[in-house]
Amino acid sequence: MNLTRYDDMLSIGPYWLMASSSAKIILPPAFTLRYFARGIADLVAYRDLLFSLSQHRVRVRYKQSALGMAWAVLQPLAMMFIYTILFSVFTRVPTAGIPYPVFVFCALLPWTFFSTAVANSAGSLTGHRELIAKVFFPREILPFTYVFAAVFDLLIASVILAGMMIYYGVAPQAQLFWVLPVLLVALVFAISLSLLFSSLQVRFRDISLAMPLLMQLWMFASPVVYSLDAVPERYRGWYVLNPMVGVVENFRRAIVGQAPIDVPSLASAAAVSVTLFLVSYLLFKHQEATMADII
Amino acid sequence: MIDLAFLNVSKRYRIPSEGAPPPGLIGRWRHRIARPTTEFWAVRDVNFEISRGESVGVIGHNGAGKSTMLKLLSSITAPTQGEIHVNGRIAALLEVGSGFHPELTGRENVYLGGALLGMRRAEITSKLDRIVEFAGMSRFIDVPVKRYSSGMYVRLGFSMAAHLEPDILLLDEVLAVGDASFQDKCIGRIEQLRNSGITIVFISHDLMAVQRICSRVLLMQQGQLAGSGTAEEMIHRYHEISRFQNTRSVERNITGARAASTGIEFLSPAGDALTALPSGGPVLFRLRYETPEAVSKVRFLVVVQSLDGVAQFTLDSRLAGRLFDLPAGGGEVDFHVDSLPLRDGFYAIDTVLYTEYEAEALDYQPGCATVQVQGERVREGLYYVPQRVEVRPAAVVSNRS
Repeated sequence: MNLTRYDDMLSIGPYWLMASSSAKIILPPAFTLRYFARGIADLVAYRDLLFSLSQHRVRVRYKQSALGMAWAVLQPLAMMFIYTILFSVFTRVPTAGIPYPVFVFCALLPWTFFSTAVANSAGSLTGHRELIAKVFFPREILPFTYVFAAVFDLLIASVILAGMMIYYGVAPQAQLFWVLPVLLVALVFAISLSLLFSSLQVRFRDISLAMPLLMQLWMFASPVVYSLDAVPERYRGWYVLNPMVGVVENFRRAIVGQAPIDVPSLASAAAVSVTLFLVSYLLFKHQEATMADII
Repeated sequence: MIDLAFLNVSKRYRIPSEGAPPPGLIGRWRHRIARPTTEFWAVRDVNFEISRGESVGVIGHNGAGKSTMLKLLSSITAPTQGEIHVNGRIAALLEVGSGFHPELTGRENVYLGGALLGMRRAEITSKLDRIVEFAGMSRFIDVPVKRYSSGMYVRLGFSMAAHLEPDILLLDEVLAVGDASFQDKCIGRIEQLRNSGITIVFISHDLMAVQRICSRVLLMQQGQLAGSGTAEEMIHRYHEISRFQNTRSVERNITGARAASTGIEFLSPAGDALTALPSGGPVLFRLRYETPEAVSKVRFLVVVQSLDGVAQFTLDSRLAGRLFDLPAGGGEVDFHVDSLPLRDGFYAIDTVLYTEYEAEALDYQPGCATVQVQGERVREGLYYVPQRVEVRPAAVVSNRS
């Protein structure tokens, strides 16, 4: 069979699909729809790897550690104590009548999810050099698994939040269902940054070095220890461009219900996240093609 | 049906250039961000097709582009130009074991490794029992892999790959790893897979194994496809391009061209040319040289190495106890070897000429010849050892006492 016949066969889709469900064409990297579509198709074909690896990521992380899963709640709990002492004993931050521990803990949940997801996934590619140099699989699976492991931690920590709400007598409101869209935005944003940072880290190891500093600054640029109302009105327009503002503030509002959901900040967070996701996924797939050569 | 096709495939690497960064803070910083690079085409305009059920070998010297081709085939890296068409699920034999996660148990790793090859969970579950049984690991399957011995590690990895039932199997120097019985098991399973009709691509230095497994061979030379044909034809061509007329050695800069080796012959003690060298037998290595001018204190070296570049032994004129003053003209050096210590296989030859006072060689011809060693004197292991054997039944011993 000659090559032109072979090409014809490819264009007759259905017949080709009957012949084999796993035919594919390896092309040079390009910012084309065809290249992008192939990336998505690969990811779908490897979905079981994404689930297996995420599952193992959670298991492996706490193996041979004495405290095990307790580590998932230890970090937000410790931060909660520190910030409670700082901002409700030393100086008073207005909380609209909500006990400060609850106020800060329900902001720390989405924040800790975001910062662990992004910080851990930044090194996900460089930490698996062996695998990348030797086996093919959609590379975005590696950063994704760290994001999913952080989702798991978030679920565990939310049990503690429920306990605290009962203790302090804070009843959930009708707007509780808003946590789902809020978390979805947080997930998309974390995934976008995990793609961006992990692929940049392959070329510039500065990324993981900058991560602790970046996350610390970012936390104070988000309404974790204070509320959105504390930010002067004239800065709000710029302030809400940080998607974590919409995420953190609205997660807190959805849980404790001290104020109605702030739709503008959530909408801007969603818009920024989705845009960033498209850009970073395209960039990632373009980088992926030569990742094994430079890692 | 075509399973694999390369259409004008090229792969370019950028190698960071040597050289100091430009002076000044900004210059140095720019140098770090964007290092100047030189281009290197590891694979250039390669075209071929492989049909379903074919077993194709890829051979070539070091740096001919074999490993790059493997990486392209398995999608580890993308081509710079061209298209690669793959029709079916590809699995690479050795790489399964290298995907193991040490903290996870054997069972978890089988799932992980299967998923790395794009298998569905249900598919792995249905094969798990057979994989574990074949590896003989049922007692240890729930132990973390980091507690495995290296043998257990390899067995599980191989057993997995052997049961994956891919459409296309990529093999890369599989036979270089593991002990002899494992290698036999490997080859046996590969032959079985080949007979079951799957497509095999075998990229190797091991010409003997290529000959045994492959019905067709692709010969790579300096990133390009130098030929395609039967194993015998291509192995013959492989030897031809490594002879002295090979462009690689002509290009080489001979320091002042004061002396150079011009040929090497492999002879029997009687002086007859040998087409293959006898393993454990006597061989006369005859090195020919030319000296346009007189050179003093010369040392001749012949290095024999395996095709993957591991030196096996050296013939060294220094062992004659002195260095040689050569008049202008030319001549021959004979190295008499009583029993060649090599097992059967193919070997590459380097020749080197030194003069005592210079660190740099007068002449260096790497890979200037390839030879085949034949014979069955080495049953297992790498070397032939000259030996005398006596068998004394116990009765004889007791009679003596």
